[in-house]
Amino acid sequence: MNYMPGTASLIEDIDKKHLVLLRDGRTLIGYLRSIDQFANLVLHQTVERIHVGKKYGDIPRGIFVVRGENVVLLGEIDLEKESDTPLQQVSIEEILEEQRVEQQTKQEAEKLKVQALKERGLSVPRVDTLDEY
Amino acid sequence: MDYLSPISFRSTYPSASSPARHFGPQLPSPDPSLFYSPPASWPPRFSLPSHQTQLHPQHQRILQKQRQEQQSSHKHQSPRVGKLWSQKPDPYAGLMNQREKDWVIKVQMVQLQSENPELDDYYYQEYYQKLERKQADEELFGRRGRLESPKLVTPYIQKTEDYESVVRIEGSLGQVAVSTCFGPRRAIDAVSHGSQEQDSAIYNQKLQVLYRIEKMFLQLLKLEENQKGMLAKSYFYELQRKQLEKIYQELRTGDQDNSEEAANGFLQVLSVRKGKVLVARLLLLLPRDQAVHLVLSITSHLPFLIRRDTADQALHMLFKPMGKCINLLAFSELLQGLQGLMVLQPGSQERPITVVLQNQFGISLLYTLLSHGEQLVSLNCSLTQHSSSDLAAWTDMVVLIAWEISHMSTASLAEPLVVPSNLPSLFCRYVDKQIVQQLEARMDYAPVATDLTYLGKLSCPPTYQSVRAEVEEGKIH
Repeated sequence: MNYMPGTASLIEDIDKKHLVLLRDGRTLIGYLRSIDQFANLVLHQTVERIHVGKKYGDIPRGIFVVRGENVVLLGEIDLEKESDTPLQQVSIEEILEEQRVEQQTKQEAEKLKVQALKERGLSVPRVDTLDEY
Repeated sequence: MDYLSPISFRSTYPSASSPARHFGPQLPSPDPSLFYSPPASWPPRFSLPSHQTQLHPQHQRILQKQRQEQQSSHKHQSPRVGKLWSQKPDPYAGLMNQREKDWVIKVQMVQLQSENPELDDYYYQEYYQKLERKQADEELFGRRGRLESPKLVTPYIQKTEDYESVVRIEGSLGQVAVSTCFGPRRAIDAVSHGSQEQDSAIYNQKLQVLYRIEKMFLQLLKLEENQKGMLAKSYFYELQRKQLEKIYQELRTGDQDNSEEAANGFLQVLSVRKGKVLVARLLLLLPRDQAVHLVLSITSHLPFLIRRDTADQALHMLFKPMGKCINLLAFSELLQGLQGLMVLQPGSQERPITVVLQNQFGISLLYTLLSHGEQLVSLNCSLTQHSSSDLAAWTDMVVLIAWEISHMSTASLAEPLVVPSNLPSLFCRYVDKQIVQQLEARMDYAPVATDLTYLGKLSCPPTYQSVRAEVEEGKIH
């Protein structure tokens, strides 16, 4: 019974499979076992899913306790529709390799861009030098 | 948890006979699963409908369709239904037992308690009232049976704990926002502390004005809040009056003694958009004399205000409340207001009236003033009600204004917000034909018959019928 109409509560999501997006960009999939008033989560049989292009890979992680403030969003996974995806699952090694390659190309592109800007006398502030908020 | 009185969260599946709770939704039919009327053979372990009272309509539709499919297929095969809910029995289910769930809910509920839900939870209250109204309407049209939606009700408990949300440490440069378990950090107000620097004097002044406006606004909001939920008790009125007086004094004087400075303070408030909103709302609450005082201040400084308003374009907010106040003006006060427009201000080449006529707010205000004057004059059957000097001043004023309007190009005249219907007859009475024609062209009203009966009206006392006609004609709402 929804004790609090007009509000959002995670109580009804307990024991269901969820996809959780964290602030650091990680994607976790697991069964939501427990919550508290800060929306800290306990995820069971968690898997960290890495997406690169059309491929993805799952790294089994076990039990996760996530501090509530680090969650961007989470949503229930429909077990029926879960397998119905255009994405292709690959092995962990492969996906990590893909990720590394992607990072590399990104960095190189970024380097070229910064170089081009520098030649024109402009500079873009680096992400790590910006304030968090 | 002693302060939370009889809470006993029962099972997740409320039976039809369970009474309304102290906590949680107030449901006349406590079982929301009845909305979806599941079949009698529905396995009890599916608690599906109960938590879906507030789903997005699209989501609700999808789930309903799913349920329908389930229902149809359920009759044929049960394994398909099982698949929806769990691949296999989940051995780790129920790690969080009911007591713990209830505890979390209780804690969340505690955070929702408020002494003034209208203020603290404004959006939910508004939403719920809108929903109720819609349901009442639908019930009225008999479209469907009353579908009571549950409402969140938390018991009223006096919040005894109060905390200083903003702390000022002596000698530090600013303020520190403190967060405790009772509330998060509060946004720090724009309070001017510390030494007044000479170069940023103007900046500080602006801050001062803004700060004053904020203070008054908070007082006004409290007043309006009281008015909304007020019982007609005498001591409430007294309290209201005192509060009102406080705001009025603050507005008029700030912390100045000199009346000239005081007017300055008032004008500074009006130069800010929020200040205009404040005065507009305040005018509706003030007693007559004080409201009139403010209105006359505004009319005597109209050009200044108009100039200061070019950025905001917010003066029209004041029009309606001022219009209401103008209708209460006495004749002498009205004249005072109008005369302010004709006096040449020191240091400016043109008369205020030219600036006023070119501004929408100004010209609307002027028309309203004239209309009210006309009403006052025509309503009094005995012309001796007003002193002859007053009447003479009035006549002069009307003639002068008519002259000004007629000599301004139509292009530069602003479009008024409202043209009162008794103005044409007013002008016809006092002004010659030529000017009347010019006025017609500018004021965009149907040409009035300029026969002798009108012109002759000046000397004869108006008859009852004509007065009534004037009143109806000049009726302003």
